[in-house]
Amino acid sequence: MWKKFYAWLDERIGLDSLYKATLDRPEPKGNWWNTLGSASLFLFLLQGATGIFLAIYYTPSPDHAYDSIQYIMTGVQFGWLIRGIHHWGSSLMVLVVFIHMVRVFVTASYKYPRELTWLIGIGLLLMTVGMGFTGYLLPWNQKAFWATTVGTQIAGSVPFIGDFILKALRGGTDLSALTLQRFFAAHIWILPALLVALIGVHLFLIIKHGESQFPEKED
Amino acid sequence: MKEEQKKTIKERYEQSLQKGERFWPDSIFKDAIMALGIFLLLVLLATFIGVPVEPKADPSDSSYVPRPEWYFLFLFKFLAIYGQIPILGKIEWLATVIIPIIYIGLLTVLPFIDRSPKRYYGKRVFAIGIMAIIIVSMVSLTLISNIPTTSGEGLYIAGILQTVGGLVVPLAAYILLALMNFAFKKTPAKAMVWTTVVTIVLMIGLTAGTMLLAPSVASEEVEVATTLEDQINAGQDLYSVQCVECHGDDGSVTTITGVEGLEGKVISPINGRDILYTLNDASMAEVIAYGRPDAGMNPFGKAYNPEGLTKSEIDYIVIFMRYAWDDRFEMPPMKPLFPALAEGEVPSYDVHIAPIVKRYCVSCHRAGKDNNNFLMTSYEEVLTTGDNAENNLLPGSLDGYLLTVIQGTEILDPATGEVLIQQMPPTKLMKQDVIDAFILWIMNGMPRTAEEARALSTIPEATPTP
Repeated sequence: MWKKFYAWLDERIGLDSLYKATLDRPEPKGNWWNTLGSASLFLFLLQGATGIFLAIYYTPSPDHAYDSIQYIMTGVQFGWLIRGIHHWGSSLMVLVVFIHMVRVFVTASYKYPRELTWLIGIGLLLMTVGMGFTGYLLPWNQKAFWATTVGTQIAGSVPFIGDFILKALRGGTDLSALTLQRFFAAHIWILPALLVALIGVHLFLIIKHGESQFPEKED
Repeated sequence: MKEEQKKTIKERYEQSLQKGERFWPDSIFKDAIMALGIFLLLVLLATFIGVPVEPKADPSDSSYVPRPEWYFLFLFKFLAIYGQIPILGKIEWLATVIIPIIYIGLLTVLPFIDRSPKRYYGKRVFAIGIMAIIIVSMVSLTLISNIPTTSGEGLYIAGILQTVGGLVVPLAAYILLALMNFAFKKTPAKAMVWTTVVTIVLMIGLTAGTMLLAPSVASEEVEVATTLEDQINAGQDLYSVQCVECHGDDGSVTTITGVEGLEGKVISPINGRDILYTLNDASMAEVIAYGRPDAGMNPFGKAYNPEGLTKSEIDYIVIFMRYAWDDRFEMPPMKPLFPALAEGEVPSYDVHIAPIVKRYCVSCHRAGKDNNNFLMTSYEEVLTTGDNAENNLLPGSLDGYLLTVIQGTEILDPATGEVLIQQMPPTKLMKQDVIDAFILWIMNGMPRTAEEARALSTIPEATPTP
């Protein structure tokens, strides 16, 4: 029965060729440093899953954001665990993505033919930091509010267009409900959508060129 | 890149594949273990450390010292040190825009600058050296981010060390390495390795020196009530200090008495349906924060008064009012104000008296109120301040002024016979068990800590039953 079902699916999707293309590949001998990329991916998925749970209770308005998180922490079953994982996961993700970048730099894996993979990786690093920056405001506590005030001020110090950037980030001259709404939209829609797209290309390029080998004396 | 170079690279990669492993299951296995480890680590962090609790955002509290998320701290510190440079430091956008753009830009176009096909570490000393110095400076800037950059005046050695370690040394090293790599092409790789190592050791040393010289400023811990019970308690304490004078301890006052400037003012009681049913939580919080000038209510929020209440504190007062007086809310079971005293147990200031004083006395007995200069916000103040300090608390005696007035007897001025001190608290005496705790505390010499009180206690040792 299962075999028949599998054959039916295989005929339509091409499971065998998918398996050959993505999983059944030869690779250079690797070590634990090679797991950082997949660890970043795992953290992204984990942040996505816990973030979706949090979005069920979270309200992006200055009147209710703080209280809704208070409710997640004390009122919702295992809400504290989900939020705890999301909170610590964000720090760990920045760290892991950064170390992944350093590893690729040290082994010079960004060189031919993987230049584009590196370029997209830098985009992913910046967007991960952007996720951290936008997510930091959402709890709407003192730390979040003032750190974002200073953070957007720094963005506003750009010559000529600084004022525009500041107003675009804050939705006005001051931090307000609009800022929270904006950061929320960026945190759960704009940046994740871009991240998913870039991760897709990143993975495609990795499968196309294969994981790079550790350099030896002759390389 | 020439075609034959590309070909060699491809050939070498093919060779390494021959000696390699399979993605499935070899690599996936390691990836899965890594993912599991990360997941367990996060669960442990969430369970045992949790998420630090912060008070609610308060746009009017401009005294709050902002600190970014930890992975931006190095940038924060860099900006602070950069701001110390004369002249250049005043051009803020150089540090906030140009320098980060240079770093990120170089990182982005790295594969197009570094076009040599060489990949072995020994052939890339320049690149790896620069990267190592960047990472070490990021880590050390993060470590010293707590330490103030200037002391405001005079020679501040920790500040100089910071500038040298965080700015001068790395900058000198970049220039030196760049010179070695581009200008003197014959420089042996060893010289560059040594430059990098010496730079890193110097930077670590300077960072350690800074940290030793200037212990970082202890960050202030803010207590945040998270459970309903804590919030009601916090609200009641705040109400007792800020509101009781005018509104009375049960909110029923209709004519203010004994308050300077508001004497005889007619106000509406705040414990009835008129207020509690017509105002929602947000409106009540706004009345407390911004006041009601036409009705005589003063503003208590930080917007009007830097010493005022924060958003979170106002929320606690509203929660307390709801649960205490609104008949649609039911007060959850609350812990008593202080733990009940056993037979022979001596109360201590820390455990028993401090909460009582906060609830019943501090409202008037703090700076700026009419209280004969008797302040009660700390143990030392309770013992030593006041115009009648020598008569207030007499250890081991029932005749001190304090014990007399809290039991409802006035103190008369021996010279004129006028009332010197009325009964305390002025409108309604405290409950008998509270007064008893006060008497026990003073009769036993006013111990401060729980340990001191325990030493004085005469609780009969539990005799083992045979």
